[in-house]
Amino acid sequence: MTRFTLKPVGWRPRLDPVKAETATPAQLAALEACPPAQRRSTYFLTLAHDPGSLGERGALFNIVMYAEGGLDRADRELATAVVSMVNGCVFCTSVHAKRFVELTGDEPAMQRILDEGWADEPDPRRRAVAAFAEALTRAPGEVTAAHVATLRAAGLDELEILDLVHAVAMFANANRLMLTLGDPLLPKQM
Amino acid sequence: MPDDEDLIDSLLGTTPDSPLGVLRRRRPEALRHAQGAYRELVLPADPGGLSHAERAVLALRVALREGDAALSARYRAVLEAAGGGAMAAAAEAPGTPGGQDRVSALLRYADRVAMAPDSTSKADIEGLTALGFTPRDIVATTQLVAFVPYQVRVLAALRAMLQESRA
Repeated sequence: MTRFTLKPVGWRPRLDPVKAETATPAQLAALEACPPAQRRSTYFLTLAHDPGSLGERGALFNIVMYAEGGLDRADRELATAVVSMVNGCVFCTSVHAKRFVELTGDEPAMQRILDEGWADEPDPRRRAVAAFAEALTRAPGEVTAAHVATLRAAGLDELEILDLVHAVAMFANANRLMLTLGDPLLPKQM
Repeated sequence: MPDDEDLIDSLLGTTPDSPLGVLRRRRPEALRHAQGAYRELVLPADPGGLSHAERAVLALRVALREGDAALSARYRAVLEAAGGGAMAAAAEAPGTPGGQDRVSALLRYADRVAMAPDSTSKADIEGLTALGFTPRDIVATTQLVAFVPYQVRVLAALRAMLQESRA
C-alpha cells in the first residue's frame, strides 16, 4: 500500500485563515475570482491574506484546469494526480484522482496508478501523459523534443500538448502551496 | 521589458505571430493571468512587508536552484532594478544560507519550498513570523516561491516544442 488514496483527505492550515466575515474588500474580490465551490474553503481563505496573488493565480488555475476544448479534462486530472504523487502531495493527489474517476468512471485504473504507478499503464495515451507529467515535474531542464514526440505518437495535438504543459506546471505550483501552508489530514485522522 | 511584453515570449525570443506564439494565444487567459501573477508577486504596487528587492532575490534563488539560466538572468536584472544588486551574491551562493538576517531566512525558506516542499513543517512558517513577517508576507513569499517552478516548467516544455519544430 502506498500513502496515496482516493478517500477524502482533509487539510489543516499552518497559518490562521482570513475570516470571511472580517475579510477586506480586496480579499473578498480575490475570492470571487476562485471556483465558486471553493471560495470559502480553508485553503482559499488562507491564500486570501495576499489578495493580489490569489486573484491572478486563482484565475490562472481555473483556466488551466477548466478551459473548453483542447486536452480532455480527465487527462488534465490524470496529469495533475501524477504530478501530485511525484511531489508527495497526498491531499492534491486524492482530489484529482477522485475527479479523474468521476469523469471516466474508471476507478480500477486510478487505484492501480495510486498503488503501483504508471510505468505499466496499459492505455498508451494515459501512459504517455503520465510519463511526460513525471519528466517535466522531476527534471524540467532535461525535457527535449523527444518527450514531445512521445505525446504526438500517443495522438495529442498541439493544443492538447500546450494544455498538458500548463496543467503539469500548475501543479508544480499548487503542490508547493498545499504542502507548505498546511498539513494533510489522512482519513484515519478525520 | 516593456509593460505589454509577455515574459515567456521575451525569454524564448518568440513573437506573438510565430507558430508557438499563435498556439499560446489560443489560451489567452492563461497568458494574461500568468503575466498577472508575475506582476502581483514580483512587482506589486503595494509590496507590503516584503520589499521588491526581497521578492526579486527570492525569485532569483528559485530560478537558479531550478537551473533555468534565462529566467535567472531576468530576475537578476529585476533585482538590480529594485536596488537590491548587493543581494545577488547571497542568492547565488551554493549551500544553505546560515545567517540570522531576513534575507538568509527567506532564502532558506525558498530552498525548502521550491526543492523539498514535502519536508516543510509549521516551524518554517513560525520562523518567518518570529522575524516579523505578517501572514500576508508569508503567503506572498510562498506564492512567489511556488510560482517560479510554474514558469520554469512552462519555459522548459516550450523550449522542447521549439527544438522539435526546428529539427
